[in-house]
Amino acid sequence: MKRLNQLFQKNEKILSIYFTAGYPHLNSSKEIIIELEKNGVDLIEIGIPYSDPLADGPIIQKSSQIALENGMSLEFLLHELKDIRAEVDIPLVLMGYFNSVMQFGIEQLFKRMNEIGLDGIILPDMLIEVYEKEFCELFEEYDIKSIFLITPSTPEDRIRRIDKMSKSFIYMVSSASTTGVRETYDDNSLAYFKRIKSMNLKAPILTGFGISSKQHFDQVCEYSDGGIIGSAFIKSFKKEVPIQQSISSFVSSVKK
Amino acid sequence: MKIKVCGLRVRENIVHVDQLEVDYIGLIFHEESPRFFSDQQLPDTMAKKIGVFVDKDFELIMNTIKEYQLKAVQLHGKESPELCRKLLKSDLEVIKAFAVDDDFEPSVLSDYSDSCSYFLFDTKTHKHGGSGKKFNWDILQSLDYSLPFFLSGGIGPEDANAIRSLRLNNLIGIDLNSRFEDAPAIKNFDKLSAFIKEIKPMKYKINEEGYYGSYGGAFIPELLYQNIQELKENYLKIMESDSFQDEFIRLLKEYVGRPSPLYFSKALSEKYGAQIFLKREDLNHTGSHKINNTIGQILLAKSLGKKRIIAETGAGQHGVATATVCAREGLECVVFMGALDVERQQPNVQKMQMLGAKVVPVESGNKTLKDATNEAIRDWINHPEETYYLIGSVVGPHPYPDMVSRFQSVISEEIKNQLKQQTGNVNSDKIIACVGGGSNAIGAYYHFLDDENVKLIAVEADGLGLETGETAATTAAGSPGIIHGSKTILMQTDDGQIVEPYSISAGLDYPGIGPVHAHLFETGRVEFIRATDDEALKAAFELTALEGIIPALETAHALAALPKLEFKEDELVVINISGRGDKDMATYQKYIESLKHPYQPPKMLTQAEHEDVNGLFIP
Ligand SMILES: Cc1ncc(COP(=O)(O)O)c(C=O)c1O
Repeated sequence: MKRLNQLFQKNEKILSIYFTAGYPHLNSSKEIIIELEKNGVDLIEIGIPYSDPLADGPIIQKSSQIALENGMSLEFLLHELKDIRAEVDIPLVLMGYFNSVMQFGIEQLFKRMNEIGLDGIILPDMLIEVYEKEFCELFEEYDIKSIFLITPSTPEDRIRRIDKMSKSFIYMVSSASTTGVRETYDDNSLAYFKRIKSMNLKAPILTGFGISSKQHFDQVCEYSDGGIIGSAFIKSFKKEVPIQQSISSFVSSVKK
Repeated sequence: MKIKVCGLRVRENIVHVDQLEVDYIGLIFHEESPRFFSDQQLPDTMAKKIGVFVDKDFELIMNTIKEYQLKAVQLHGKESPELCRKLLKSDLEVIKAFAVDDDFEPSVLSDYSDSCSYFLFDTKTHKHGGSGKKFNWDILQSLDYSLPFFLSGGIGPEDANAIRSLRLNNLIGIDLNSRFEDAPAIKNFDKLSAFIKEIKPMKYKINEEGYYGSYGGAFIPELLYQNIQELKENYLKIMESDSFQDEFIRLLKEYVGRPSPLYFSKALSEKYGAQIFLKREDLNHTGSHKINNTIGQILLAKSLGKKRIIAETGAGQHGVATATVCAREGLECVVFMGALDVERQQPNVQKMQMLGAKVVPVESGNKTLKDATNEAIRDWINHPEETYYLIGSVVGPHPYPDMVSRFQSVISEEIKNQLKQQTGNVNSDKIIACVGGGSNAIGAYYHFLDDENVKLIAVEADGLGLETGETAATTAAGSPGIIHGSKTILMQTDDGQIVEPYSISAGLDYPGIGPVHAHLFETGRVEFIRATDDEALKAAFELTALEGIIPALETAHALAALPKLEFKEDELVVINISGRGDKDMATYQKYIESLKHPYQPPKMLTQAEHEDVNGLFIP
């Protein structure tokens, strides 16, 4: 899948948006993806809703719960996205919890991802040790990129190891926290961003967790190749505002 | 610990040794060795066959590999890193051996660190090993290994303890040879068998990678990697230190009140036709087995320098036990508890608060134990440095299940001693315990696991009954998957969403079981049965009426096994009374009221009426 690699050839700052599939409505995923691309978003993370999302804060917990109540499942999502590549060119990656993928069957999922044209997957509860020992070959066989996380507490040698293993980008978690919306980045976070930047890693880095405004986004872009927004985006949907309109005003508020 | 037995030659002997479930069988292809292997018919083995070579070239090695279907090679000469790498690329495991003496120069290792699978350290001789002598193992402490290694050279039947106490993280296996022989190349089965039993973590215990069979491991966000790593690297070191053990044992005795009695229940024995003993964990301080684990973990948290303790709780027993040890140590304590459980276990909420803990009601999901555990894990993600997560059962990522098992194993250790004193037998015929996450059960089983004559029975909570879907009987309703950081059996939908369980007992109202129990279930070592809300309630009232012991609702499920099992008159049966029923009085009260006959306190009744009341509550 070249889409992800091509993306990082660009010199601009990359804006990646996460949304929970099945929220606000069971079949809004396709529309959300199309509108995000139209508005200039560079990369999309499609969240597979999970009943017990351990790394997520209240907003994604709630959107996942509603999505599941709406009837969303991994099978439904893949079916919905079946023809997405006729309309959308930017890279698309899945994000979900290991148990969802394990129950679906990892190889089965990769086959379907290939058919559709989904480029990678983020499984926050799959440590690199598990990846290396059990799944690395499958990922390579189907050319699905696994995106790994680094955090403020990840030791340097481990970051190097993750860098070596990364075939696309590294997901830099901005602070020791679950996902959510934060007010500002403190000095600790900035020191951490600088430390990672000075490591000159081979893989591009996108920063996520807690980004909620243009100011945040610009800030993380100073230290990395771009930012990932999730909770703040999901929160921006309003009952009375059509999805189209809500996405265009959200993206332009960050990207201007 | 991997076991490699090296230098075999005779077909029958190979078949025999393979029965010991060793990991490698070594064949020596070095002409000068008295154990030189050539031109023999090899049997199929479960163990990997490994060829041992000295300064042979690539072609010769590969030909031998093909001829004998070897899976691994061990190189004892001056083989280059390039040759090793070439073999590694040929899909072989490559062990590079190094001859060690006091002048060993560790810098040679770095040349090989990315060209082989393991190192092997052997005693230096002029004949490429095989001397039957050991080198000075102290050297191993100072080496900085980049690869896991095997220890070789003169290991004998008496060395198990010395090897275990080496506690080297990278020591992955040992190589056994001449000291276990009747004659060169002829291994002594009994000597090997006894030694392997001593050194190998037993069949039902955790392996080096943190798994019980295929269950366990650590499926956690990277955000928790450092926390878990810190624990993993330190828990055994700390737990096995003399100072820790002294303090742990002292507190169990003087603070908790251990050993808890093993009480012979004449009434239950007569009713069910067996010799029934009750292990009285309900008499511990704070009223359940949970305190054994919290005492252990708080000492561990203290030696790791942690300042803030978080815990999840269902019935509130673990929450109280945690708040108790935190009060004693003067540490901040936050307990997450499902909002529904806060309601149904009020006395324990009040106790925790009086003990100075902050109780956080959790409103997500079903508002029970699973959700409380989620929230505790999220809190830990948000406070990774100063906070210690004190898990209450044998669940969670490795090393928690093993650590909690070890702390609770005091239960079975005492049962063994008490049975011996009270009956002359060390083993029980049956041991019965309830399973929520499984900590009281594994504690009661632990020292009996390898004695397959002892029948182990686990009772899961069946709520309103399996067929209604309102159940918490994990092994009956569940399938393999991931919950709270470990691979185990859990209740889930086809799509992998965790299903909300149901049980009247807050401590058993959990959709998973600890990975050790998934393994014990799958191997058939433990028989899993179920008891419904109703069956448990009846059992609770039965014990109360017959023995004057009000059990916890969780424990009542274990007691409910009695009418479901068949016994022989002289059979020894131990039931783990995991906790007392004070916290469940509101539920018991409701049950009484729900029964048709109005409840009257017994002291107001005549003798005849008294029997009538007994008749009402005892099935
Ligand atoms: C008295 C009692 N028994 C049993 C349990 C179940 O836990 P476990 O299966 O870990 O022993 C609990 C849990 O709260 C309990 O309080």
